[in-house]
Amino acid sequence: MKWTPEDLQKYVQAKEYIDTAIIPVLGFQMNDEKKLEKEAFQREVLSIYTNEIEKELSGRLLLTPPYNYVKSNDMSGELNRLNDWIDHIKEQPFTSVFILTFDNQWKKNEKDLNAELLWFPSVQTGDIKSEETIRMIRNQVDQISELIRTYW
Amino acid sequence: MNDKKNKVSRRQFLNYSLTGLGGFMAAGVLIPNLRFAVDPVLKQASAGGDLVNVGLSEDDITEDPQRVDWDVEQVDGWYESDINRTAWVFKDENGDIQAFSPVCKHLGCFVTWEGSDDYPDEFFCPCHDGRYYKDGTNVPHTPPLAPLDVYEHKIENGMLFLGEPKPREGA
Repeated sequence: MKWTPEDLQKYVQAKEYIDTAIIPVLGFQMNDEKKLEKEAFQREVLSIYTNEIEKELSGRLLLTPPYNYVKSNDMSGELNRLNDWIDHIKEQPFTSVFILTFDNQWKKNEKDLNAELLWFPSVQTGDIKSEETIRMIRNQVDQISELIRTYW
Repeated sequence: MNDKKNKVSRRQFLNYSLTGLGGFMAAGVLIPNLRFAVDPVLKQASAGGDLVNVGLSEDDITEDPQRVDWDVEQVDGWYESDINRTAWVFKDENGDIQAFSPVCKHLGCFVTWEGSDDYPDEFFCPCHDGRYYKDGTNVPHTPPLAPLDVYEHKIENGMLFLGEPKPREGA
């Protein structure tokens, strides 16, 4: 289920069937202008991933609003805030909460997170509509869906 | 005399010009209305043209369901976007082409052909173990309550064209 009025209406009615949440986690910064383009591109790519995963597993999975934060070297504040999100979501209850991100800072703090971290390297730049990229994303989405299913 | 014969009288001239003018005015009113009246007929013709080539040739369709992905352009309020569609395509025992939507009728996950080793020869939904027979009807006592939707399809120049998924009566 996506975070849209129609899907949330369905979610409320079918709550007992939906036990998995995915939070897209997206950082941004404006100091390093050279990285702006690349980071905006990755944002687009992550939204494609999350949408595709949601499509495959929509009957058991809720895609939450994305978690946005300013990138920095000190992640402790963000770590607490993200854990607040996760705890809040888990109250519903959700038995599994996944975090999807391209930012390797989270990987370093994985053990302090109250959710399953799915970090993977992203395509850096390129044409998002090219056959090759689409095939690669579809293939990876299949693998991620399979991984999520092993938690069920 | 001869001169007088060819002359159009004032009365005649007025008659001709008024009929002509009236005719034009009537046509101006009637033609748009006529267009509205026949519009549904024209619409139907274009709906048939909405089936899109999904890039699969008829010869490549086997008795084993295969997954086909394609894009369609969709204008939805503010957004004009390419949405991708998916279908499971195969030939049934009569050799007829079947194209099913993969969207599970329970809560909308994607079903997979033989997605579970426990249930060969069935479509399987990984979310809540929903099952469908090969003809798309739901297996009783599993979560889905209706058969898989069926895509409109046609074969043109040996290629498969698919349209909109249509729901079927429940089993």
